[in-house]
Amino acid sequence: MVSKESCRNEIRAAIRQLSDRCLYSAAKWAGEQLVGIEQDPSNFTPSNTRFQRGSSSIRRRFSTNESISTPQPSVGFSQAATPLPEEDETIDGDLYLLAKSYFDCREYRRASHVLRDQTSKKSVFLHFYALYLAGEKRKEEEMIELEGPLGKSNAINRELVSLERDLSALRRTGAIDSFGLYLYGVVLKEKGNETLAIASLVESVNSYPWNWSAWSELQSLCTSIETLDRLNLNNHWMKDFFLGYAYQELRMHTESLAKYDYLQGIFSFSNYIQAQTAKAQYSLREFDQVEIMFEELLRNDPYRVEDMDLYSNVLYAKEACAALSYLAHKVFLTDKYRPESCCIIGNYYSLKGQHEKAVMYFRRALKLNKKYLSAWTLMGHEYVEMKNTPAAIDAYRRAVDINPSDYRAWYGLGQAYEMMGMPFYALHYFRKSIFFLPNDSRLWIAMAKCYQTEQLYMLEEAIKCYKRAVNCTDTEGIALNQLAKLHQKLGRNEEAAYYFEKDLERMDAEGLEGPNMFEALVFLATHFKNHKKFEEAEVYCTRLLDYSGPEKEKAKSLLRGIRMAQTGFPSMDLEHFPI
Amino acid sequence: MAGLTRTAGAFAVTPHKVSVCILLQIYAPSAQMSLPFPFSSVSQHNRLGLYLLSLTKSCDDIYEPKLEELINQLRDVGEEMDAWLTDHLTNRFSSLASPDDLLNFFNDMRGILGSLDSGVVQDDQIILDPNSNLGMFVRRCILAFNLLSFEGVCHLFSSIEDYCKEAHSSSAQFDASNNDLESLIHYDQMDMEIYAIDKATEELELQKNVNRSVPFHLHTPEAIFKVIEGWRVSPKESSRTSKKITEATLVASASSSTVEDTLVDESLFLRTNLQIQGFLMEQADAIETHGSSSSFSSSSIENFLEQLQNLAPELHRVHFLRYLNKLHSDDYFAALDNLLRYFDYSAGTEGFDLVPPSADCSMYGRYEIALLCLGMMHFRFGHPNLALEVLTEAVRVSQQLSNDTCLAYTLAAMSNLLSEMGIASTSSVLGSSYSPVTSTASSLSVQQRVYILLKESLRRADSLKLRRLVASNHLAMAKFELMHVQRPLLSFGPKASMRHKTCPVSVCKEIRLGAHLISDFSSESSTMAIDGSLSSAWLKDLQKPWGPAVVSQDSGSRKSSTFFQLCDHSVSIPGSVSQLIGASYLLRATSWEFYGSALMARMNTLVYATLFGDHSSSSDGELAYLKLIQHLALYKGHKDAFAALKIAEEKFLTVSKSKILLLKLQLLHERALHCGNLKLAQPMCNELGGLASTAMGVDMELKVEASLREARTLLAAKQYSQAANVAHSLFCTCHKFNLQIEKASVLLLLAEIHKKSGNSVLGLPYALASISFCQSFNLDLLRASATLTLAELWLGLRSNHAKRALDLLHGAFPMILGHGGLELRARAYIFEANCYLSDPSFSVSTDSDTVLDSLRQASDELEALEYHELAAEASYLMAMVYDKLGRVEEREEAAALFKKHIIALENPQDVEQNMA
Repeated sequence: MVSKESCRNEIRAAIRQLSDRCLYSAAKWAGEQLVGIEQDPSNFTPSNTRFQRGSSSIRRRFSTNESISTPQPSVGFSQAATPLPEEDETIDGDLYLLAKSYFDCREYRRASHVLRDQTSKKSVFLHFYALYLAGEKRKEEEMIELEGPLGKSNAINRELVSLERDLSALRRTGAIDSFGLYLYGVVLKEKGNETLAIASLVESVNSYPWNWSAWSELQSLCTSIETLDRLNLNNHWMKDFFLGYAYQELRMHTESLAKYDYLQGIFSFSNYIQAQTAKAQYSLREFDQVEIMFEELLRNDPYRVEDMDLYSNVLYAKEACAALSYLAHKVFLTDKYRPESCCIIGNYYSLKGQHEKAVMYFRRALKLNKKYLSAWTLMGHEYVEMKNTPAAIDAYRRAVDINPSDYRAWYGLGQAYEMMGMPFYALHYFRKSIFFLPNDSRLWIAMAKCYQTEQLYMLEEAIKCYKRAVNCTDTEGIALNQLAKLHQKLGRNEEAAYYFEKDLERMDAEGLEGPNMFEALVFLATHFKNHKKFEEAEVYCTRLLDYSGPEKEKAKSLLRGIRMAQTGFPSMDLEHFPI
Repeated sequence: MAGLTRTAGAFAVTPHKVSVCILLQIYAPSAQMSLPFPFSSVSQHNRLGLYLLSLTKSCDDIYEPKLEELINQLRDVGEEMDAWLTDHLTNRFSSLASPDDLLNFFNDMRGILGSLDSGVVQDDQIILDPNSNLGMFVRRCILAFNLLSFEGVCHLFSSIEDYCKEAHSSSAQFDASNNDLESLIHYDQMDMEIYAIDKATEELELQKNVNRSVPFHLHTPEAIFKVIEGWRVSPKESSRTSKKITEATLVASASSSTVEDTLVDESLFLRTNLQIQGFLMEQADAIETHGSSSSFSSSSIENFLEQLQNLAPELHRVHFLRYLNKLHSDDYFAALDNLLRYFDYSAGTEGFDLVPPSADCSMYGRYEIALLCLGMMHFRFGHPNLALEVLTEAVRVSQQLSNDTCLAYTLAAMSNLLSEMGIASTSSVLGSSYSPVTSTASSLSVQQRVYILLKESLRRADSLKLRRLVASNHLAMAKFELMHVQRPLLSFGPKASMRHKTCPVSVCKEIRLGAHLISDFSSESSTMAIDGSLSSAWLKDLQKPWGPAVVSQDSGSRKSSTFFQLCDHSVSIPGSVSQLIGASYLLRATSWEFYGSALMARMNTLVYATLFGDHSSSSDGELAYLKLIQHLALYKGHKDAFAALKIAEEKFLTVSKSKILLLKLQLLHERALHCGNLKLAQPMCNELGGLASTAMGVDMELKVEASLREARTLLAAKQYSQAANVAHSLFCTCHKFNLQIEKASVLLLLAEIHKKSGNSVLGLPYALASISFCQSFNLDLLRASATLTLAELWLGLRSNHAKRALDLLHGAFPMILGHGGLELRARAYIFEANCYLSDPSFSVSTDSDTVLDSLRQASDELEALEYHELAAEASYLMAMVYDKLGRVEEREEAAALFKKHIIALENPQDVEQNMA
């Protein structure tokens, strides 16, 4: 276990270095983790610890001041895995300072130009980085200017070629630092050279692990567990963050949760970890828990927009209209032009049944980010509600093409085709969705229903699916009931009885009643009576007697039949029983 | 700008168009002069005018020449003033230093247009009529430019810079080349080397130029063509005149060139929707024609499609092409994936947009087409049960949405599936879900279902005027009539007569009806719009001039058929139509094969191979080759057949589900049997059986063939009872699957077995049964050979039946000699001799020539066939006759021949070695 103090010191230094290089999002991330570390009570007054969560801004200023006043105070003993690199210049060059201010004003090309002949590592990196961003910015603009008749244009970042050339030259001469390697990795990835990109990024994070941006780029390249396992990474606590994230994206939620659990030991107040844990729990469908986590998260960080779309999904699933509208309002005030905010509003309208408006907001979310996966899927759902199946199919398909393992979208596709009366065609999509999430009973049940449709009527296959659903702990109890009914339909009374009994057990355990209950009881009573197991039959009959309605009459007549059969002759006295 | 280009058919200003504009300015300067400055004669001026006309006409094409190519062409057009022209062009480009210059340039362009209303036109003034072709072009360019936003102008400006930069590097060298075309090539190649492009791309580059220069003049009328013909045949082209190469690499190079294009200047590629759709259709056709004949083309198409998809993600037809490509390279999962993706995105509407969209369909999409395609895909990949399920669903959905067109197609596909697969246990497959039109027919046999489906499909197609479907249904019907025994349908029960027969007249009728398609198409050119299938008609239209003018010139006689020239000139014959017509010829060949006219069969196959070989799908082409090779084997002996096979193998072995291997095994087996090499025959036979699927009912033809050969091998090994067993079980199978025609040949085989085993009495009924089958199915040749067997059986019964046998034989002789293969003829001759010899009333000494003639004929034919057993018999008989006649020398000769054949028969391995 790494000591909290050493972590703290590492991060403090890293934040400075990252923001010196204008890697702001990595710096932001590191900052979040820094305040996520539980403060050492001996260093702080009790009041300080109490306010730790609430008034983080005050403390953050405090801690930064501290690190500035004593630059790199604990370099001596924070050498657990990787030494913090010394800055190559203690006094920044004037040109660097100018360039950085240009950069901060988003004048990338200008910044890059100022630094064109600089040799210090920091300046060199900033030069290239600014150039890259300038190219990206131009690319975005060209994308709109050049949009072809059939969608996307071929706009590319025109700086990539020269960047790749210069960076690889730097790398050959060994003059590249870990930040340069990060940028090189990004450029290679954009150029489509994934293996080299991975190698470069791995080298970067091994020499400088605190750059979260490098880790996330690396994650985006790890599309399979095999690639992930093949990475040769040094041990560092940042690696655990990375693994947690990567596992989550590879749908290994329990592994990911374990990682986050471990990390929470150090970063016990990290919002990031909490949000990630919530995400994993959401995938495991622990909605209540997720809701609580998000509520707490919002209390600590009321203006957070990231991951809030997930929270809105939870609220949607729980049909909490008021809470959802409150969330939407809050997020809207914070930043209305975030895809997450649009998605939340879309969810709200969807819950309210105003699907056109929902679609509008999902569209806006997609305008802001074309690759925003969940918006595509949710829009598909809306179109399904609006009975516009082709549009729904289109939306789902886009989601699937962005991320082929999105089981929701596959499921949606299947559903849409089933709605159009093409169950056989739909089966393929259900199969796909099950392939990605084999342990979800809902998917199995959907597939079984598809087999059961009158057009296909492939009952044997349906039975197989329901069996799988039962094995996946079907919470809604559809599978057992359907299994029993199907067996009954196929004249396999033994099996039918078995499943009816199981279903009955389940209903008893959950304290449910309803038509399914009656049906099961009636069937079981008749079945056992026919098989001359009168005692069991009687038990079920008497249970039936507890209810009113036609079932009661049925039970009575059954009971009479049982008595008759038991005694071997029509017993007259039964007729005179008081009813 | 973004909004503008998005509209379909938009006319975008490109660097190439700017250079055409510059040339137009030269052609018609606004100054008042009768003959503008650089031109020395009127004809020179007109020449440039014609060239410009062809340029403007071809500017809607998907490829645009690079500046370098344009300069090359100018060189040929401009003659002595070419240097001035190119100089002017490049100078004009280099003078465009800022976007403002562009603006001014297009303002100046306005000046060369004459005004519409000013009636006063001086005679010596050259003014472009704004309504002429050239004037329209200028107006379109100006309009398109004026609609550009400033960003658009900037982009145009920078792409012009690229356009010039590309040419610049090479133009310096061209200037030095003094118009020497020979050295031009050298420079070209040096150029390549300088730019370090490896050998392969150089090759491609060259071929690209060849191919590219052809579609470049798509719209060019022939008159103009002649003018520029002279320079069109540049050394590059003539160095590669062989059209075959061009054709084979067409796909590859076309795609690779576009890939390069897109790398160089992608914006050039994103043209109007219509252009790209047409281009994709062309590619689709190419995929079908070439199949997976070379793996290179398949992967390069894939590369190209990927590129295209990156550029235009909303162009969903790319997915369909990918599906086609994967389908032809037998990649099931990728094909399935792409098919589904295509329909998910497009709802089946894009790409099928030649059909006028009816209001009710657009709302729901046309997913029934997806089902139809999916069904056909499963069929192709050999999943008949899945295919049937999917097609059933397609029928249901298209009924629901009342899409009759799709329904007709689906029914046709279904009948095709059923007839090809001959599914035995359809009832269990279909289960209760089988609910379409044929729900009443659940008790019917597969054949009857096929018949009903075909009838239904034909009826619908007829009423919907889907000509191609009608034609292909007629062909399917003909095939059905040919293969299946007609029985009164739907009137079952004891009263219905159970007489089996086929009706050649109706086959002929159906084939003729199918072939009507071609006249329909030539009489009516607007059919395309009505007929809603994936046709590439209009693109073919564009491609027309390349047929007669260019190709026939370079490649000689390959396409010199009058038929196609006629069609090419009058109307467009879409590939699918010519494919169908071609199929009708193949079917004719097959039917003649059945009815026993070898000549007619061969002729029809040849017609197909020569006329339709280029347009056909690779599997049809293969079939034609197979037929020809089989014909060779039967009539010319094995050597020729194997030589031909080698050629066919090179051409078709990569085709998926190639039947070449099958044919090869058959030929090898046949030859092994003839040579008496049973050790070789047995494994061949086993392998043949291995080719057949183990699943019941699938590829019945192959199964029957395998067991037939097994029985024959056993027969040759003199294991009569086993052979008879195999034949018996084969007969039962044929009966079960209603394969009436095969039954006849199995019966004949049984008779043969009994004959060989010396059990003539048992053989007789089989032979008679076979004859009666043949009679009712009109299988004349088979009947002749059955008659021969019958005669042999009679003779085998007792030698005093010789007269009767001879009568039978003479009855069958015309057929046998006219159409029979070498083996059959030889057998007949030998048998005739045998008859005479065993006839007690026949005296050798007086009538020796009759016998000897037949025997000589027989041994000649057997020589080609290497059939040692029969040959030995013939020479034995000959020796005996000579012995009787006392001609010792000839006797010895015949005896030596006999010995040779016997030795060869006993040591087949030696012969093999000699052969090797």
